Amino acid sequence: MSATIDVDDDSPVHPGEHHDHGPSDGTYWKVFWALVFITALEVSTYFWDVWFGESSWTFAVPLLLLLMVVKFVLIASVFMHLRFDSKLLTRIFYFGLATACIVYLAALSVMNIFTDNGNPWFNDPPPAVTPSAVVTGEMPAGGMGG
Amino acid sequence: MTDVALEPMDDVEFPDDVHATSTGISNPKLAMWTYLASDCLLFGGLISTYLLYRNRPGNIPGLSGSDLRASELFNIPFTSMTSFILLMSSLTMVLAVNSAIRSDAERMRLWLVATSVLGAMFLGGQIYEFTEFVREGLGFTSNVSASSFFTLTGLHGAHVAVGVLMLLSATVYSMRRTLNAEAVETLGLYWHFVDIVWVVIFAIVYLIP
Repeated sequence: MSATIDVDDDSPVHPGEHHDHGPSDGTYWKVFWALVFITALEVSTYFWDVWFGESSWTFAVPLLLLLMVVKFVLIASVFMHLRFDSKLLTRIFYFGLATACIVYLAALSVMNIFTDNGNPWFNDPPPAVTPSAVVTGEMPAGGMGG
Repeated sequence: MTDVALEPMDDVEFPDDVHATSTGISNPKLAMWTYLASDCLLFGGLISTYLLYRNRPGNIPGLSGSDLRASELFNIPFTSMTSFILLMSSLTMVLAVNSAIRSDAERMRLWLVATSVLGAMFLGGQIYEFTEFVREGLGFTSNVSASSFFTLTGLHGAHVAVGVLMLLSATVYSMRRTLNAEAVETLGLYWHFVDIVWVVIFAIVYLIP
């Protein structure tokens, strides 16, 4: 008697046979130097306001986010072998990552981190609270929530 | 995807510590990836908390607190150096994995020790940074901004510390028994994850004002 089961034909890795078609040491070194270059570029943005003025931050922030994503993907794909391993592992990892991004971006949006609507309790510095307000438990304008 | 009949596999030999799985992926490796996916949620929550509270020094009259924010004390050149050290440890880790695949135990141990030394150097840098912050008057309970910063970076440091212990354990183990390549690769996955979490923390917490 035999049972049937779905087998993922995409998987290049099977138990007992470790994949040996991963990148060579030379490829790892190349990726490492690429990561070093990107990190140096990231660090340089810290000094952009001195070199190019305050307005340079308009470009620096999106660039930092982009470089962060590139570094993340490079390490996950090459160093962690996602590019060479079973697609199932890629799905599992990026599902967790996507869930985290969606949940926390939604939470941050609800708490007005991307806008300044005057809510003093998150993101912005707190309002000046008088000693009498502390004693009576009075809340400042804007309330506690988003 | 194809349907195949499951027959007794008398003619197939697996190593002692490897079992056939329906996914074609060994259970320890699958478990590690699932754990890493769940860890994304943990660190996502802590990074979000820091973003929410980073501009909230605790200078509320009547309550203890400090006006200082962690971001005012950041030493970017120093943190860049520790980031570079952690990046370098990722390279030594993949070189250890490649050595394990080539069954070069000597070189594998060398790279594993190098990785743990670099990890320990990163931890030393973090301890130095925390000490400097406390010396400047910013402790864990100084204000909500400091608490969220220390929790986030401290938990990452704890991950690094666990990684260093696992690397050293693997090195010692490999001197007595054969450490298969997949075990080293699974350990490497954890180590690289610690690195990519730092990539995100370094950009979002340290570099973006």
